[in-house]
Amino acid sequence: MSYGDCAAPIPPVTLLAYWLGELDEAAEAQLDEHLLGCGECAAELEALVELAEGIRRLAHSGALRGVFTDALTKRLTEAGLRVREYNVPRNGSVHCTIAPDDDVVVARLEAPLADVRQLDLLVFPAEGSRHERLEHVTFNASESAVVVVPGADLLRALPAATMRMQLIAVEHGSDRLIGEYTFHHTPWAHLQQT
Amino acid sequence: MLTLAYASGVESGPDDFALYDAEPDDASLARRIAQARPGAAAAAEAELYRRLAPRVRLYGLKHLREHQAAADLVQQVLLMTIERLRAGQVREPERLASYVLGMCRMVVLDLQRAHARHERLLATFAQDLRGDQSAGTPLLDDASLLRCLGRLPERERAILVMTFYDDRQARDVAVDLGISEGNVRVIRHRGLERLRECMGMSEAAR
Repeated sequence: MSYGDCAAPIPPVTLLAYWLGELDEAAEAQLDEHLLGCGECAAELEALVELAEGIRRLAHSGALRGVFTDALTKRLTEAGLRVREYNVPRNGSVHCTIAPDDDVVVARLEAPLADVRQLDLLVFPAEGSRHERLEHVTFNASESAVVVVPGADLLRALPAATMRMQLIAVEHGSDRLIGEYTFHHTPWAHLQQT
Repeated sequence: MLTLAYASGVESGPDDFALYDAEPDDASLARRIAQARPGAAAAAEAELYRRLAPRVRLYGLKHLREHQAAADLVQQVLLMTIERLRAGQVREPERLASYVLGMCRMVVLDLQRAHARHERLLATFAQDLRGDQSAGTPLLDDASLLRCLGRLPERERAILVMTFYDDRQARDVAVDLGISEGNVRVIRHRGLERLRECMGMSEAAR
């Protein structure tokens, strides 16, 4: 095959399936050979591998934020990260902080999710301020909890504050409040002075 | 004895392929090495090494999942490839990729056996004897990646992170989320396209 001029470029979605080991043996062997002979497709794959490595770096630096699952936080712990976890009961509150050696902080919002199809998360950063709505957050209905990772770097920059979150089930275009969760955040340094 | 010093570049000599062909394909380079006196096609060897090294490294990462092992694979496979090309032992240069694949498979088996021995030794000693598994200097700008991830819809971001964090297949992510494997693939596909576009990696962004 010529250099930099692929006659049959492999789509990124197929390259990802190859990388993850999702292809059958014959297809994988075919791609193994193609990639050894094609600089263009190999460069595409390399870019995907760099994305994966970048996401791992962000996760390990505590910069990632979002709504994930217990499975991911379990793997972060297995990777040797220090994960501070808060279980927040439905319509309950928690006093929280982030320690200097914490890598990741996780809030597990307890909620009945059995019949929920679409779940949105409303984040109220501080009393009276405008909220942010995260639509279609991920959840596993059988786990009865939503796992929120707010981002360690953001938490470290926070002053003492009270924040709220609401879980909203979206049903036939209308909202149903599932639960409200309150976080009384205190910076680590303040806790050391008291 | 075979010597290779291509990582730091070589001087052009009488075999300089640029004199003959602006952009020879891999097979042309292989033929040039095979037809020259052993070691006399230095520029062709350097160019072939430059092209094949990242591809073999990717093969190693895919099948060995370890950076150091992938680097070992590159060294061993490319030394053997150049050596056999010099010796005229590669009968079909136009099928070089197939030839290299055969050697990759063979060396991967050896490295996997060596890795198993290494793991047994590591298990005997302390956890902190493990070496750095990072790929070295990152090529990707983490700030851009974070910004682009932040622009994705929630589900796409979550599924991409859950996929890429430790290379999990769609069926595993589907189990974590209690949704279908097909659904994970659709969301993953959309998210990947959006992320590649934001990072300037997609065809549209070129």
